[in-house]
Amino acid sequence: MAEKEKFLKEMGAKVGKIIDRPGRLYFEVANDDLRDVARYLFRTQGCRLSTATALETYHGLEVIYHFSHDATGQYFCPRVVLTDKANPRMNSLAPMIKGAEWIEREMAELLGIVFEGHPRPEPLLTKEHPRGLRQPLRLRRTP
Amino acid sequence: MSRTVIPIGPFHPLLEEAEYFRLTVDGETVTDVDLDIGYMHRGHEFISERKTFTQSIYLVERICGICSTSHPLACVHALEDVGGIEIPPRAAYIRTMVGELERIHSHLLWLGLAGHFIGYDTLWMWAWRYREPVLELFEAVSGNRNHYGMMRVGGVARDVSPDVIPRFLKILDEIEVKMEMVAKAAADDPVLRSRLKGVGVLSREAAVDYCAVGPTARASGVATDVRKDEPNDAYGLVDFKSIVLPNGDVYDKLVVRVLETFESVKIVRQCLEKLRTTPGPIRNDVKEIPAGEGIGRYEAPRGEVFHYIRTDGSNRPVRHKVRAPSYMNIPTCAASCKGIALADALITLAAVDPCYCCTERAVDIVDRRHKPLKLDLLELSRRKTELLRREIHG
Repeated sequence: MAEKEKFLKEMGAKVGKIIDRPGRLYFEVANDDLRDVARYLFRTQGCRLSTATALETYHGLEVIYHFSHDATGQYFCPRVVLTDKANPRMNSLAPMIKGAEWIEREMAELLGIVFEGHPRPEPLLTKEHPRGLRQPLRLRRTP
Repeated sequence: MSRTVIPIGPFHPLLEEAEYFRLTVDGETVTDVDLDIGYMHRGHEFISERKTFTQSIYLVERICGICSTSHPLACVHALEDVGGIEIPPRAAYIRTMVGELERIHSHLLWLGLAGHFIGYDTLWMWAWRYREPVLELFEAVSGNRNHYGMMRVGGVARDVSPDVIPRFLKILDEIEVKMEMVAKAAADDPVLRSRLKGVGVLSREAAVDYCAVGPTARASGVATDVRKDEPNDAYGLVDFKSIVLPNGDVYDKLVVRVLETFESVKIVRQCLEKLRTTPGPIRNDVKEIPAGEGIGRYEAPRGEVFHYIRTDGSNRPVRHKVRAPSYMNIPTCAASCKGIALADALITLAAVDPCYCCTERAVDIVDRRHKPLKLDLLELSRRKTELLRREIHG
């Protein structure tokens, strides 16, 4: 697919381990390169940010952004791996993409990831929870 | 500059669901909108990780009472993406038919509510009356008017009997005739046009920036439609148009939905004709889902529903991410409500078809001196329509 090849040609130096499946390209990206890759996908290739997923693994935390290239149905999923479970921090995409604001707030409160540069770093879902939830999606990944 | 903040919600006896809109107004003009969500947060993602895949399909079906095909369909698409699973052609047509019937009933529901909000109660009653036969079709297919329980990994749960197809086609013909009548009445009405034209405009740039989806994006000239972009199920086998309009106002959002309803009728009709001539199984036997990750999406009536599932080879997801279309569309209200009159706020907030669109019936206004005032946004909206009607019709 042309879009995928174009992306890999332009951004290949910043892309780590790739999982290539029909219509889906998952790839690892360093935190420092995330904004460049996202800018290229969003501004140059005209992708739409569908959403982002954060999850805890045995080795750390992962944040996967899902960019959809609507004209071709191709998904580009940059994956940032955070190894510091106690103090996970990464760059926010919300200053560049308004559609990332809510999902980053949600990931911050559900998994305790700090998004640096987020314009409004406050809880989204549990703001008025009587007891306040402490990272509810990180309760169970202890090896 | 005088500045008044109007809180709407989060809990009020008139609200059907809990949410919180904070409108900042300067006189009669809305200058800012802020909103809080989370009052309905039920932790579906957390629960899903403790369920088997089949149980998860039932769980996500209960996220929304109107999109009860969209979530399960996106969920099975994600699982099929993980395992590279194909479905039989007959199942593809049944899935598409059920999905499009849901679009018809959801758009009619919205049309009725939009009519109610601007003081067109006849439109409301018509639209909901013609929605009723669609729910009866669902009952004939699945046994339920809602929560159909039709989706399975590798196919669908129930077949459509050939005996019911002529009756279905007849009901579709009737719905189409009535819809044409409603659409013509709406298009010819000068009051409706002047009430909705140019109101609550969401520019193309803002729609792209907020990553809007569905009719909200398509009414702003953004051609995004999962049915065309990634034609799953039978969408690649049927003929239909994706409706895209340029203006981004409430009127265009209404027209997009009305025209989409006709397209949906067209798709359902094609699916029914194909079901007559496409015999075969309705489900492939799926033994297990391998370890991996998959993305499933479906064009719900409000836009793209997105599911991401990570699996580890067991019968439960390691991570199940769910993103409903309103999650992307509701923040666009911040752009579309800025600068509009307070009387237009209700219909502009409702124009994105949020899952909680019956919100704004009663509000408490507190002015700068903290003096409580009572004002009904619904009444304000309907009064504006009445004034326009008198102006136009004398």
